[in-house]
Amino acid sequence: MAVSGIPFLEGRYSPTLDLWPIEAKEFNRIHTFYDSLREGRFTTTRCKQCGRVLYPPRVICPECYSDELEWIELPKRGKVIAVVEKLGGVPICFEVPVIDAWIDLGEGSPLRHILSRVINCPPQSLKEGDEVQLVVFDVPSHPMEIRRETIIAERVFFAFEPVKK
Amino acid sequence: MAGRNACIVGGGMCKWGVREASYVDMVQEAAKECLDDIPGVKPKHIDGLLFASAFVGRRSVQINTAPVVAERLGLKPTSICARVDVLCASGSTAILLARGLVESGMSDVVMVVGSEKIYTPERWQVQYDEIAAIDHDWDSPQGIGPPPIWFALTAKEHMKHYGTKKEQFGTVSIINYDYGFTNPKGHFQRQLTIDDVLNAAEIAAPLGLYDCCPLTDGSAAVIIASEEKARELSDRPPVYILGGAQVSLHSVTANWPGEHLGDWPHLRLAAEKAYQRTGIGPEDVDVAQVHDCFSISELIELEELGFCKKGEGGPFVESGQTKIGGSIPANTDGGLMSCGHPFGATGIRQAIEIMRQLQGRATNQVKDAAVGLTHNLSGANAEHTIVIYSREPRK
Repeated sequence: MAVSGIPFLEGRYSPTLDLWPIEAKEFNRIHTFYDSLREGRFTTTRCKQCGRVLYPPRVICPECYSDELEWIELPKRGKVIAVVEKLGGVPICFEVPVIDAWIDLGEGSPLRHILSRVINCPPQSLKEGDEVQLVVFDVPSHPMEIRRETIIAERVFFAFEPVKK
Repeated sequence: MAGRNACIVGGGMCKWGVREASYVDMVQEAAKECLDDIPGVKPKHIDGLLFASAFVGRRSVQINTAPVVAERLGLKPTSICARVDVLCASGSTAILLARGLVESGMSDVVMVVGSEKIYTPERWQVQYDEIAAIDHDWDSPQGIGPPPIWFALTAKEHMKHYGTKKEQFGTVSIINYDYGFTNPKGHFQRQLTIDDVLNAAEIAAPLGLYDCCPLTDGSAAVIIASEEKARELSDRPPVYILGGAQVSLHSVTANWPGEHLGDWPHLRLAAEKAYQRTGIGPEDVDVAQVHDCFSISELIELEELGFCKKGEGGPFVESGQTKIGGSIPANTDGGLMSCGHPFGATGIRQAIEIMRQLQGRATNQVKDAAVGLTHNLSGANAEHTIVIYSREPRK
């Protein structure tokens, strides 16, 4: 019998060509980030020992190596420092232009900057100084084997969008 | 410091471009060019192999690559046989590691060979390999696996803070294509005008097509040996690998270490460490190979490496300082812009050009070049790697 040797042809999922993280609690110890995202909250971890705020969230503090961490909220609004619209060479599945901004989350924020895609945004409309806000959306789920049973792991991710003036 | 010195003895590369050849075919072509460059060296003299490649595990479905490469090249390593991956700096990193192995006495003669097969079998997949080249879970979903977005933001910030102009980015590309015009092994052999550059297809404003280096298949190989072995195997003047530095302060773009995106403190730190360790200052460097993956990256690197003042990269390049006869001829074989950028092979190509310059046999020769420097950045500008070469050993 012929061996296809190509799991895609057998309808199998392979994470090597998956843009999104594997978020499920059976795989990922910082799954709380994604659970919070699902509730519209943008969070990260803070060290209970030394107070250091860590982004992305972790399971140890890189400052004092304590593993006693707690979840805190990050700002969901920021201001555009610079914006770029990419017209060519974008990954398959993305629509052109891909709009990305370097965002200032504000002086009081424990995380000062973030790079994010900006969606729900007409091309050529976003400018330096504009306000943007967190937006959460569903991304494709994937099958996942847990002790011989296959579950479907639902996923979300985030970007930013212009704040309506 | 007492002990052994490590030298680069010879090197060669295959034809770079869109190749009808596999990564391991190109490795063989490059290794042949390398050994043809040093008639005294045969496979039996080589006791170590470092293979530099970032994408081979994904593009060519081969991990644990070093034994495959060793076998095809007829090498039977007895000191080291390993693959090195630091994305764009894989080749330079392997050279730094080979230097350490040779200086420690673990290895005597090491082949460092890099190879990437990018154009196969479907071009779209490159973008999905690049999602694995930066922080996958946090940056890739924002669409920046392919790097132009990040460097376009960087260009905008440099323009805002220092008044740099798009024409000045274009000058970098024109100069590097001019150098590459005489390099038959590079991806392109053509010259550009400022109109070509300014009228090129927009990739991510302010960057157009010629502000970006191409995707390229290619391989390059060098031999790194102890000074004693180098003198035994070759009549050419030895080129010493004095030392270098590799600095990594962050991975996710949100943890960018600079005041703004045009400010690269991790490169300043790498330069400080590399200069300190080698006793070389930027004023001593006669020829440099800096990582021109984008025109803007070369401008900022010239600043942070200390070749010009911070913020003055634009006027510095515009005034011809990176041309032969300028204060720091840079990317004299065409750089990434004209040669292309097969990630793991790039640092090795740079080393070959510096070796030829320091031995007085480069095509675009810098007169009496005695000290050379190579630089790479990797990822979303998350790591910087510097190697310094000299005709004289460390004092």
